[in-house]
Amino acid sequence: MERGWLYDGATAVRHEIEVAAEGEAVLIRYADGGTSKVPRARLFHVDTRGEWEVYGHIEVDGWRLGVPGAAAAGLGPLLPPRRRYGGWIDRIGLARALVAAVAVSALVIFLATRFPGWVAPYVPRSWEENVGGPVMASLDGRYCHGPGGDAALRKLASAIAPGAGDLDIRVVDIGIVNAAALPGGHILIFEPLLTEAAGPDEVAGVLAHEIAHVERRHVTAAMVRQLSFGLFVTLVGGGTGANLETFLSARYSRGAEAEADADAIAALERARISPGGAAVFFDRVARRERRLGAIGAGLSYISTHPEPALRARRFLASAGGRNDWKPSLSPEEWQALVDICRNDPARR
Amino acid sequence: MDATTTRPAEGAQDRGRAFAFTGTWQEFLPIALTNLLLTIVTLGIYRFWAKARERQYFWSRTRLVDDHLEWTGTGKEMFLGFLMVFAALIPIVLLLVFAARLVTEGNDLGKAVGIALFLLIYCGFFYMAGVAALRALRYRLSRTYWHGIRGGSDDGGWGYGVQYMWRTWLTALAFFVPLPWAQTRLWNARFNKMSFGQHRFHADATAEGLFKRWLLLYAVIGVFVAVFVLIALAMPKAGAQPDMNDIMNFGMGMVIAVLVLYIGLPIAALAYYAAYYRRVAGATSIAGLRFRFTAGTADWLLLFLGHIGLVIATLGFGLLFISYRNYSFAVRHLDLEGEIDVAALAQSSTRAPTDAEGLADAFDIGAI
Repeated sequence: MERGWLYDGATAVRHEIEVAAEGEAVLIRYADGGTSKVPRARLFHVDTRGEWEVYGHIEVDGWRLGVPGAAAAGLGPLLPPRRRYGGWIDRIGLARALVAAVAVSALVIFLATRFPGWVAPYVPRSWEENVGGPVMASLDGRYCHGPGGDAALRKLASAIAPGAGDLDIRVVDIGIVNAAALPGGHILIFEPLLTEAAGPDEVAGVLAHEIAHVERRHVTAAMVRQLSFGLFVTLVGGGTGANLETFLSARYSRGAEAEADADAIAALERARISPGGAAVFFDRVARRERRLGAIGAGLSYISTHPEPALRARRFLASAGGRNDWKPSLSPEEWQALVDICRNDPARR
Repeated sequence: MDATTTRPAEGAQDRGRAFAFTGTWQEFLPIALTNLLLTIVTLGIYRFWAKARERQYFWSRTRLVDDHLEWTGTGKEMFLGFLMVFAALIPIVLLLVFAARLVTEGNDLGKAVGIALFLLIYCGFFYMAGVAALRALRYRLSRTYWHGIRGGSDDGGWGYGVQYMWRTWLTALAFFVPLPWAQTRLWNARFNKMSFGQHRFHADATAEGLFKRWLLLYAVIGVFVAVFVLIALAMPKAGAQPDMNDIMNFGMGMVIAVLVLYIGLPIAALAYYAAYYRRVAGATSIAGLRFRFTAGTADWLLLFLGHIGLVIATLGFGLLFISYRNYSFAVRHLDLEGEIDVAALAQSSTRAPTDAEGLADAFDIGAI
């Protein structure tokens, strides 16, 4: 018999006992001579405390049996093994569990990257409108309609995309150099983008990019992604999940931006509008970002857009070697577009 | 012969304290590393199991008098508890979306109903945060064993949530000045619902004396404002040409103001919380045994400076050891005075909760 100890789960008294294996059970002899038997199948391993292996009883809350480590080996080859990482990881081993988890996670991330693109085309326009409509409505009173401006914008859009007639493209008087595609086929061009541009080709490049976002339904896909994978991972995955989601969503966004750039280049070439204008635009953005220095390079991993210098080079490369470009707007049309806010009688 | 009473002086070797932490960083490192690895490769889902493993280690290295504690909570139950709460929150979030649409797109009646819904849900969340704090504490006690005996509570926290709500709001209305009063009363309310074995915890902490420390924070803010006013007064009159001296004075003044705020405020907060934890622990007892917490402001300061130093020196890897350092700090400063009558300590009859810390997890709050 081996010396051991027992907490019976009824009180906190520690009983000094002796244990021995008896068939398929563990025999316990108390100090007062009494004995009890516990079938091995009722025991589970709790912990290793110093020299003691500690076992619990699956039916008795708090029942703990301490057996010297050496004796435990002799006592119970049938005693359950130690729990370490949790259920199935212990069963298949840590290395295999890691490989399996990486494989499953990679598959989940792959699906999360592809699935939104598959679903987005089936999202009805009216649903998109529920999201984009209120945003557009909230900017009421800041839209510009100077004479000839909207017509110039429509001409530019239909040159880039013949089917752009049902798009809602508007210039808004907000002081940032930017443009945005909203769900529901809305495109916003912020006024400073026009006033800073050297010519219509720059605006054509940006517009082609935003039209590509609308046609590929990128914004809808991003929302599908956010509400499925994004929500799941940030909620269930906690801090690690949230960090991962920041990284993956930025990567996803950069992918969509690159796709929109490629579409834009193709559309501009079809319309015989020089992509050189867009290159000039991104070059200016790049110069502005260069002031950030090394931080800017580091940020490119969590940035939602590809590096502007790279985008400028891409547009420039596609512009090279050809010189049969057509002016996208006449000088008068261009001036009307640039002055769309300044000349708007309602905005004085 | 079975031992029926244990005294701290008999069992504990170091300075006769009832609690001792016997873990080592070498033992914890492999646990922390594999936890991190598994959490990353499972997109964060393993964090429930990681927490269970961590606690299991911490508890098993916490000696109370003559034996170690045991944590029996599992990752699976914490995961399921989280999912349960998550599922329960979905309809509330949908209601929130509905309220938002009512406010933005509805007519006057719709707007009013929407705003009322918002307020209702806001109150509801506040209430549930209180409920969650009590339930998390209850869960932790119910999974903590010593000598085969566990703790727990049969209280669901529904009453505590109400108390949490009105005490917190009253405190906020009074510019947080009565915070020590609210915190001590809430501590009492939580612990008076808890038990270990068949014994009830008893807590009767008062805020007396804590206000001085708490008002230190206001003093720091007052000094900050005073320095700012002095800077403004020392500025040359409008139109006058500032000389080098003025610019130097202005710079110095700004540095002092920022130092006061960024160093003074955290230290004042530490001084308050050091006193708060000493007070509430000292006012908590069970079966005639009184808790004591001995960490002073300097101890807390060293703990946090140690955190910062460790994280910087290890280029961030030290983050893995923050929980370890916090836990061992708490145990090293915790004491229990009196003689434990183990023969009279019988098993808890409380129901073991199954919601784990789901609610607290969902609201991202701690238990103590």
